[in-house]
Amino acid sequence: KKHVLQTVCALEAVVLRSFGPDGGQVLFIRDTAEAMLSRSGSRILTALRLEHPLARMVVECVWKHSTVTGDGSKTFVLLLASLLRMIHTTVCKDPTVSHTCNSRKAAEAALARRLADELLAFVLEDLDDLITVGVVPYGCCVSWEDFTAKTQSPVHTNNHHVQKLLASFFHTRLGYTHCDFISNLACELFASWKFKNDTPALSLQFVNDNFPALHTPVSGFPIDCSRLIEGQIIHRDFATPCPQTENQPVKAVIFTGYLESELLRAGEVLEVGCGEQVMEENSSMKQSIVQFSAWAERSLEWVIADLQSLGVSVLLFAVKQSPAVLALATQAEMCVVECISEDELSLFAQLSGSMPVSDFWMIQPEHVASLAFCRPVLLGAHRYVHVAFHDLEEKVMVKPCSLVICAPGEGQTDQYACAFRDAIRMLLTAWEPLGMTAHTASKRTCSNASPFQQRVLEPGCVIPAGGTFELLLHHTLRQHSRSRSVSDNTNMSLPAVSQLLAKALLCVPQRIYSYKHKTNPVQNCSTKECPLQDSKLSMHYCGQAHMSSNFFLIQYDLLFRQQFTNTFQSNDHTITHFCTMLPLKHR
Amino acid sequence: MAMNGADEDFEWEPPTEAEMKVIQARRERQDKISKLMGDYLLKGYKMLGECCDVCGTILLQNKQQKNYCVSCQELDSDIDKDNPALNAQAALSQVRERQLAAQSPAPSQVPELSRVPSSIQASVSVPQPRPEHCEGAAAGGRASLLPPAVPSTSAPASTTALAPTQPPVCPQSTALQPVLQEAEEAVLTKLRWATTQLQSSPSLEASIQLCSLIASCANSLRSLKELSQ
Repeated sequence: KKHVLQTVCALEAVVLRSFGPDGGQVLFIRDTAEAMLSRSGSRILTALRLEHPLARMVVECVWKHSTVTGDGSKTFVLLLASLLRMIHTTVCKDPTVSHTCNSRKAAEAALARRLADELLAFVLEDLDDLITVGVVPYGCCVSWEDFTAKTQSPVHTNNHHVQKLLASFFHTRLGYTHCDFISNLACELFASWKFKNDTPALSLQFVNDNFPALHTPVSGFPIDCSRLIEGQIIHRDFATPCPQTENQPVKAVIFTGYLESELLRAGEVLEVGCGEQVMEENSSMKQSIVQFSAWAERSLEWVIADLQSLGVSVLLFAVKQSPAVLALATQAEMCVVECISEDELSLFAQLSGSMPVSDFWMIQPEHVASLAFCRPVLLGAHRYVHVAFHDLEEKVMVKPCSLVICAPGEGQTDQYACAFRDAIRMLLTAWEPLGMTAHTASKRTCSNASPFQQRVLEPGCVIPAGGTFELLLHHTLRQHSRSRSVSDNTNMSLPAVSQLLAKALLCVPQRIYSYKHKTNPVQNCSTKECPLQDSKLSMHYCGQAHMSSNFFLIQYDLLFRQQFTNTFQSNDHTITHFCTMLPLKHR
Repeated sequence: MAMNGADEDFEWEPPTEAEMKVIQARRERQDKISKLMGDYLLKGYKMLGECCDVCGTILLQNKQQKNYCVSCQELDSDIDKDNPALNAQAALSQVRERQLAAQSPAPSQVPELSRVPSSIQASVSVPQPRPEHCEGAAAGGRASLLPPAVPSTSAPASTTALAPTQPPVCPQSTALQPVLQEAEEAVLTKLRWATTQLQSSPSLEASIQLCSLIASCANSLRSLKELSQ
């Protein structure tokens, strides 16, 4: 039991220095001199070298949690450590534990297990309702339509803009300097990928799935150079000289295989038969090979002629082609791009509405894609292929665009790209329709006037940042346990588990405000007090500068609590598998 | 929170203040250990699945495959920092205390002197100090400790001081007793000789060696005392 606490406390010490808006960054340097810069809890923890089984289990838990929600890994570890400490203190001070040396350890372990089981039961049954009743009324809703409404003046303090939400998230992840710029960029990206007749979740999901193909990291430039580029960027260069067709519409075809017969590929063994005729050896062999290669070249020419008749001038290949193909294509004035990754090709196919060709003998019009243009683009030190699409009537979508992320170094471009991904996941979690409510994706903005009428957990519910969620929940839990003890009239020698949870929750605001010795002029918050004693809750909202990213806590809190309550059920002898607890709320 | 096996039906009382302080100190120590472990993990150390044999802390391993225990090798143990034999500061403070006490009436000297050998005896049980610990400071501490203490009394006083610290001998192993007594006598004689030599020794090196001889005599006396229990 002591090891459980010590392991988790060590992990807590690792993430603690990066926690909160004032937390620092961690720079990891590999032996190959690659640098990784991060403030993300899950990245830091997965980069550690851990052989201790419990530590690995906790880190895996954190990672799974992070792939779903995109944020909150450090809070997870902090809360876990805090809960374990509470349990440890409770167990040590408990009068019912016998004081004989031999059975003391066993008794303590048994008590700890009992507390863990009770906590799990409490979390599964009561916590949902407590959060809905005690915390949600203080929140407000952010709706999807706010994406398009970003031009409203920021003076209104009640403007629940997604942009502010993202700014708060990026503040903790990327630092204060660029969080506004990056959040604007993100909003633009999401707005342009909004499919007209689909729910927001689907378009966000689309961006999430295709994110590697949708962004280009460019190192060596200041971060302000990051921008959106219309169309798609294929991360390969032209293999043949590109004819000067700057902005003219072109036609393209995707090939998934090779453009010539398999027999001519390097590495294949070609056996040429001599036939029945008995001729002189040398001449017969040469004749056969010559015949065969002539036939091969002719077939290739037919394919190219076929393509020319369809008006195709751009060939996109998934694999590397032979020099013969390249030579013929150059002769025919066609551009060739080779070795394109699968996800980029599938994205291209989706956006252009064409199908890839698998058999080069059968090239049909439906394989031909129309592009607005196809030209090289220089981004940083690399030259890529930039394509743009015509608007298709069948697939009604907004103009597709690609994100260019600029940063001084590769470690930083990586950091920004990961932050984007996590922001998408965070938004997806926010608007994920909950099974238990009648409402699906929230389409109405809620005013602050009627928060107390809401008794259901709406998607998109937001709570201001800075530990407010924990304070509210703490207060609710204390009231709940007080009312329970009064009604039950039991003589509880053990404190209720809700009390344990309440005390443990306070660690988060404590840590946040341990940094804030001076007023942060940017935050523009009124002073926050941390009710460390059981005093009246002081409710101060952040000023307009920062909306919160804590809304998702309402949803993921429920699901991560089951995960970590299971971790401390393991003592030195048993390690329980709790990954099955993950799909409790959704997925 | 007594761990006494004899008290089965011990009535639970809230922990006393002293115990609370111990608990608090232990908790702070654990926090320090966690923080140090976190720092080392970030530096690239590997957290192993094994624990230290001595203190039970989780072991770390550096890139050269060398195991490292944070609490044994870096943090001072619970009693180390008060031990004058290993810590120069504690030695100096104890010297000052003794000088103050020397000005007060004589009976108080005897109980203080009895502290001297007990502190030397206590040095036996302390684990290895950390490698970069200053040996010179330790030696200086030891050297500064004993000369002020010893000249203030004569040798017989030290033996009378030693005598009360020995616990009453159990009458069980009578065969062992004479052997032990002889050994004790021999060690005491050596100790006496060493102290007289120390008083008159002019050189630093000799003083240091005499001090270490006195320390080892004290160790032997302690072992003998344990044997006779």
